[in-house]
Amino acid sequence: MMRGVFVAAGALILWAGPVGAHHSFSAQYDRAKPHTITGTVTKMEWQNPHIYFYVAVKDDTGKDTVWAVEGMAPNGLYRQGWRRDTVKAGDVVSVEGWLARDGSHLLNMGNVQLNGQRIFSGTAPTN
Amino acid sequence: MRLPLTIALALLLGSGSAFAQTRPDLNGLWQPQYTPDLTKAYGKELPFTPHGAQRWKNVDTANDPTGFCLPVGPARALQSPYPFEILQTADRVAMVFEYQWTFRLFYLDGRTPPADIHEYPEWMGFSTGRWEADTLVVDTVAIHERTWLDTAGHEHSDKLRLTERFRKTAPDAIEWVVTFDDPVFFTQPWTITRTLRRMVPPKDRVMSYSCEENNKDVQHLVPKAN
Repeated sequence: MMRGVFVAAGALILWAGPVGAHHSFSAQYDRAKPHTITGTVTKMEWQNPHIYFYVAVKDDTGKDTVWAVEGMAPNGLYRQGWRRDTVKAGDVVSVEGWLARDGSHLLNMGNVQLNGQRIFSGTAPTN
Repeated sequence: MRLPLTIALALLLGSGSAFAQTRPDLNGLWQPQYTPDLTKAYGKELPFTPHGAQRWKNVDTANDPTGFCLPVGPARALQSPYPFEILQTADRVAMVFEYQWTFRLFYLDGRTPPADIHEYPEWMGFSTGRWEADTLVVDTVAIHERTWLDTAGHEHSDKLRLTERFRKTAPDAIEWVVTFDDPVFFTQPWTITRTLRRMVPPKDRVMSYSCEENNKDVQHLVPKAN
């Protein structure tokens, strides 16, 4: 039921534009390195200063690699219509984002598709 | 029983609600204009001194104090994407920020900063204010020099003085004009203007925020290459 309401309201919760504030984007991510992952959510951390969720991505051999995805602050997401269970373990997501500069399996969240439907639109911060 | 006139006046002036009614009412929850780079708001490069230019050239954004959950500083709090509540009485105005759950307090009771305030700088500075007609004018000094002016990495010295002017331009809008005066970093004072917008129900509340709750970012910050 919750999901039905959420999907119906999907057009209202798209977020356009960068939102940061905790620190500079470029201290952690490389905007010249966009990257897309698709996989199954294993965990959501709905916490400040930014949400993190984890996605198991299968490679060609069937082996899972767990990626961390950093998103906006939960307060901003809440005001845009997200809830703590909007993205949850078991969901299939596709995330377009930007790679971490330290080479870890960490992505800054841009566009997000949940079970094939766009639920978030974002761009890399510009500073 | 008749009260002496002086006592009656004192009671009247001491009543925040009665006095505040003669001033613009700034109470409410307000959303800043997110301004991560002051250069864009100013419209050109800031008027750096040679020292200021050198610091800007060498700044490492991995050292952003807020990345380590240190307080955001007085002006940057009003440039963040998080709303804040204004609480106003006759001789105080407080700003309660969602971002970092910190606050600013403006003394409107005629006091001057403590004589030793620069020996004890404050993360949000020490602020005194006054009304000039319908504009709240706030002077802030002794701002901890570890704070940054913005996310882009503009820094300042302990000589920084802010002069802010808050003027209600509509029931749901406050014009915020802030002048940055720091002779160590800038050759002249410079000013930007931003608009604060009222948050309306159901979004008119300060939500919880703890920077330390899950600050995983700090382990992924990459220092600038020299």
